Amino acid sequence: MEKIKQNAIVKKIGFNRLVLIGVWILLYILFAILTPVMKPNTSFVSYSRILSIMQYACFMGFLSLGVTFVIATGGIDFSIGPVMFCAALMGGYQLTSRGWPLAACLLICVLVGTAFGILNGLLVTYGGLPSFITSMASMMIAKGVGSVFTKTQSVSWPQSTAPGGWYRNLLSIKAGGVDLPIGLLILFAGAAICAVILNKTKAGRYILCIGSNREAVRLSGVNTKKWETLAYILCGMLAGLAAIFYVAKNTTVQPGLGDTFNNDAIAGCVMGGTSMAGGSASIGGTLIGVLIIALLQEGILAMGYQSHYQYIITGIIVLVVVYVDLRGRRRRN
Amino acid sequence: MGDVILTMKGIDKSFPGVHALDHVDLELRKGEVHALMGENGAGKSTLMKVLTGIYHKDSGTITYEGREVEFSNPREAQDAGIVIVHQELNMLGHLTVAQNIFIGREYMKGKLIDDKKMNEEARKLFDQLGIDIDPTETMSRLTVGKQQMCEIAKAISHEAKVIVFDEPSAALTEAEIEELFKIIRDLRNKQMGIIYISHRMDEIKVITDRVTVMRDGGYVGTLITKDCTKDDIINMMVGRVIYEDPKTESAVAKDAPVVLKVEHLNAGRMVKDVSFELRKGEILGFSGLMGAGRTETMRALFGADPKQSGDIYVNGEKIEIRTPQDAVQHGIGYLSEDRKRYGIVVDKSVAENSTMASLENYMKGMFIDKKKENDVAQKYVELLRTKTPGVDQLVVNLSGGNQQKVVIAKWLVRNCDILIFDEPTRGIDVGAKSEIYQLMNELVEEGKSIIMVSSEMTEILRMSDRIVVMCEGRKTGELGIEEATQERIMHAATLRE
Repeated sequence: MEKIKQNAIVKKIGFNRLVLIGVWILLYILFAILTPVMKPNTSFVSYSRILSIMQYACFMGFLSLGVTFVIATGGIDFSIGPVMFCAALMGGYQLTSRGWPLAACLLICVLVGTAFGILNGLLVTYGGLPSFITSMASMMIAKGVGSVFTKTQSVSWPQSTAPGGWYRNLLSIKAGGVDLPIGLLILFAGAAICAVILNKTKAGRYILCIGSNREAVRLSGVNTKKWETLAYILCGMLAGLAAIFYVAKNTTVQPGLGDTFNNDAIAGCVMGGTSMAGGSASIGGTLIGVLIIALLQEGILAMGYQSHYQYIITGIIVLVVVYVDLRGRRRRN
Repeated sequence: MGDVILTMKGIDKSFPGVHALDHVDLELRKGEVHALMGENGAGKSTLMKVLTGIYHKDSGTITYEGREVEFSNPREAQDAGIVIVHQELNMLGHLTVAQNIFIGREYMKGKLIDDKKMNEEARKLFDQLGIDIDPTETMSRLTVGKQQMCEIAKAISHEAKVIVFDEPSAALTEAEIEELFKIIRDLRNKQMGIIYISHRMDEIKVITDRVTVMRDGGYVGTLITKDCTKDDIINMMVGRVIYEDPKTESAVAKDAPVVLKVEHLNAGRMVKDVSFELRKGEILGFSGLMGAGRTETMRALFGADPKQSGDIYVNGEKIEIRTPQDAVQHGIGYLSEDRKRYGIVVDKSVAENSTMASLENYMKGMFIDKKKENDVAQKYVELLRTKTPGVDQLVVNLSGGNQQKVVIAKWLVRNCDILIFDEPTRGIDVGAKSEIYQLMNELVEEGKSIIMVSSEMTEILRMSDRIVVMCEGRKTGELGIEEATQERIMHAATLRE
């Protein structure tokens, strides 16, 4: 075991992340075997299922990447799901009811998300409010704002063939009769940028250190409030981006919803090895965590169960992962 | 004074690396107020913890009411009639006075708590003590003094025969202290045995009958209070042989430039009108007893806590310090007394901690220049002789002394000229200690200036060029190293205004 952990390639990727990749493959095999058993004449192994998993992972991925920054500071953001919906509703309403150009509406999505990020960040850092409460409140505000803005109507973004429908190409492009998961590539590129921010820049360094020991960083003469706020802003901005990929997959957005995605996003992040206590985070881990969540969601639906079963499994996974993380921490202290 | 109620004889207690109590004796009589005195770390609290069963003695005997006892926890001691009124009050602010007094042993009416009965019982207690407190009042709305009275009432409700007061007057006003003394005299007249721990010399003279003095974990002696002077007690408290040579003269010129000047600094309740100057190349010692406000002064100066008023000058120029950022910008670095909480980020590497205060100088465009960062960290590992397998080692894996060096490195990398070392050798073993001393001497030789807060008299006398003494938030003395003695420092440290 120790030998494997010391291997150069294993070290580079990270042992825990390799385990997660193993888990993903095992789950995939499990679903491949179980699906025909549970639901005769259905197959799990197909390109369209993979594509569906990827498309779900896409918007979840952006949500999860964002919240990784906040969790790294030792905070939490429960508003990302509804913020994503709020952004999608507002952008979509301007597009369909007011006839704004598509590019402007996509920008609105990102701006709405960023605005909520700024709000959360300022309240938590300069206002000194607990992030749990703040994000709960802004979750409700996001739900309300989205609903009021669209007069409580659901919004349907245009289909691929309709005018203004090219945004769906961001998720997948049909080339030679095959759907190419462009969205996944964009997600990976986004994740790479996030990884660079987290590991190579001043912002990432301070965000992680704040998560470990905020006072020590402050007493080193660092403007901790600024960097912590930045984490929330990044989180909000990525939730806005997630909105684009959500509508690219689903086109229709209902007002007053979105909170279930919080749990999936946070679960993906935590599963990937980001500690809820703050101070350590892994972008690669988050990515794999999200892919596992997406696989679970698809597999459970394929077997003919409702997605509620997925919530149970995700919930249990989060408990186990957080427990293991806490135990490891206690042992080290 | 009546018969002996409690005798502690030859109490010995060691912790790993520390001989905390070395054959300490204490005798308490009924109807006596007995002062227990000593410097910080003399072993007073440890002795009381042994008495009440929080610690277990290695050897020695405790005789209480004529028979030998050994309590295994505070609860047993309490049941036997020995209680402590702590300096920090153990009260639940949101409960009522009566609920606090009877917590853990509530009067019940069937399955429900009988608040009415508890209020009645609490009222009886207060009447007995002659205190005017409403038992139904919420605890947090009382003044600290009143809360203390409640703590005493609680102690008495346990049918205490021996009450230990651990620095009860530290947070009280004059009037409240008067009231406290009245109660203590009452209790004494009721033939209780009272142990009174305090640093305040004047109070000792007023309220106590005998004084037992401890020093460095050992028993020094017991005096009848009215037959001795303040100086007698101080001499007993500090009369140790100093093994390390104290500094006898300062190498710093009397007219060396003033690099830091603090005038009339006021902050919170613990810093009152503090003024001092720090000269270039000097180690300015800050001495005082626990709770004298030294750390608070440094934190306010550094911008870690808000200050109400006061002017700060660096190199003759008046500056504004509101946050640690401002202080660092002006070349002030602060080494906290609580290294783990305020000094280092334990689960980050030596290199990351070293550049914590100056990361902007280790960037290549938008990105951290890892090589440059490692190089500078390595340079200071060698310079400070930090023992670590490498600069990417996590700080949590280093020993206390080496962690301290990492914090020092952080400020040297930032090129701070004014360094505040708050208890720089606390929790550090002897070898590492002398290395830190050597390091401090090297730093001032290079022209840095150091403020050193220390509760260790030997450290103060060995390292300082000048010594500022504080007591209860005020500066009560300033001595050049030539004129400084343990007695003079202790005198100033117990000087109440």
